[in-house]
Amino acid sequence: MPDLNQLYKQAILEHNRNPRNFGKPDEWSHHATGLNALCGDLVEVYLNIEGGVLRAVHYAGESCAIATASASMMTEISTGLSVAQWQHKFELFKRLMDKNSQHQSFDELGQVNTLVTVKKFPSRIKSATLCWHAMDAAIQGLPDATTE
Amino acid sequence: MLRAQFPGLNVQVHGKPLVYLDNAATAQRPQVVLDAMNDYYLHHNANIHRGVHSLSESATDLYEQARVSMAQLINAPSEKDLIFVRGCTEGVNLVAQTFVRSRIKAGDEILISHLEHHSNIVPWQILCEQTGAVLKVIPMNQQGELVLDDLDQLINPKTKFMSVVHVSNSLGTVNPIKQLVQAAHDKGVPVLVDGAQATPHLKVDVQDLDCDFYTVSGHKMYGPTGTGVVYGKTEHLEAMPPYHGGGEMISKVTFESTVYNAVPAKFEAGTPNIAGGIGLGAAAEFMLSIGLEKIIARDQQLRVYAEQALAQVDGLRIIGNAADKAPVFSFVIDGVHAHDIGTIIDHYGVAVRTGHHCTMPVFQFYGLAGTCRASLAFYNTEQEVDVLVESLLKAKAMFA
Repeated sequence: MPDLNQLYKQAILEHNRNPRNFGKPDEWSHHATGLNALCGDLVEVYLNIEGGVLRAVHYAGESCAIATASASMMTEISTGLSVAQWQHKFELFKRLMDKNSQHQSFDELGQVNTLVTVKKFPSRIKSATLCWHAMDAAIQGLPDATTE
Repeated sequence: MLRAQFPGLNVQVHGKPLVYLDNAATAQRPQVVLDAMNDYYLHHNANIHRGVHSLSESATDLYEQARVSMAQLINAPSEKDLIFVRGCTEGVNLVAQTFVRSRIKAGDEILISHLEHHSNIVPWQILCEQTGAVLKVIPMNQQGELVLDDLDQLINPKTKFMSVVHVSNSLGTVNPIKQLVQAAHDKGVPVLVDGAQATPHLKVDVQDLDCDFYTVSGHKMYGPTGTGVVYGKTEHLEAMPPYHGGGEMISKVTFESTVYNAVPAKFEAGTPNIAGGIGLGAAAEFMLSIGLEKIIARDQQLRVYAEQALAQVDGLRIIGNAADKAPVFSFVIDGVHAHDIGTIIDHYGVAVRTGHHCTMPVFQFYGLAGTCRASLAFYNTEQEVDVLVESLLKAKAMFA
């Protein structure tokens, strides 16, 4: 039986208590909404992309601890990356969170690897991936993303 | 003991005894329902209303007896007023696309309430798109009750149909259906009542309510999934065009034209969910054998107990405090999101629903993304409510 403490690790609880880059910024160049139709989770991602570089990454919305921590970690790891670098990390993150994959971590993902234990709670994987799909949509110029 | 008749309750989750408090999503089924379905497959397996052979006749008898039992449960004047459907969703769509579509035009109004499940909103939006009709909504208040002050304006000469929920699935509110039906009928407006959450908790009497249509969901009232009925007044069912075309719903087919079968067969195209229908009949008989009075009294005990027990949890706020409500508790806890609560208490064996419960407009009203919902049935116990409260305290502690 997966242990609850593996899901609600200190790092996740800490990000949930003190989410980084949380709130709608004054200005942004790209924006998308992530919607989990199943549970009603809604997350807004705001990006400032200049010359192909992610100068600022913010998010807003009301979501569970897993989604909040994932979004908070995502903004930290993404800020300052080129769009191409981010897309590489997004691919790694998708592989990490694929419930059929054996991957337990990727060096490039740093603290984001903490989220891997969410795989033991399949109904919650979408909580962790929603903001990433929303950010991907924002980069692509799409208005919204779903986890379906 | 009644609880012992529900084998599905006797399982362990994460090594803990299941505490099943998600009855508004789907209830558990008693052994008699499972036995009735098995008995059909084992001893009467044949198609109905066709063959002259013995099995077909006995299968037809069982299926039609189920219709009689369902008519008895909701006090319909005749079992012929009941159409077997897959559930309330199909029931609402059927009435929207037959009865209402045949009598509505652009600019007409359809009236629903703010408390509706998506299944009693979307079929009307589809009909509005098809016809140019307009959807109007009876508002709600903070208590989770309907506000009827402006009902007289809401039901106006443009109003051609009203469709309202009997018991709210997300808040438990019991709506004043008799009053609503009376107000609509005073202006000649027919009414559908969505009874999905009512038949498990209330003594439903469609003749006393005087509604024109009433939809029942089988799996919420201890019957099989994919079953239900639509009750309709005889004159409406006679006048309505058919819903789906196919076998069983016809009496004569040529390439030039078709003569439809009599009601209710006119609305039951194709081989139906025979085992499911028989199981639903067994569920109705089961509820009648317990007695609705007994079920209502037990619901009331559990509701009062759970209300007091949940009040012990600091920072817990119950959403929806209608004066008349079913044992359904939507709640939020300061600092812990509903989905996290759901995951954590699952580890103590407690099953609740989290999210918007297919009533997004209700939670838009409260400015919430969703809630946890504990929905009780008569087989739940006070001890289970205690386990819920203990597990909620543990969830709070984890996030403290």
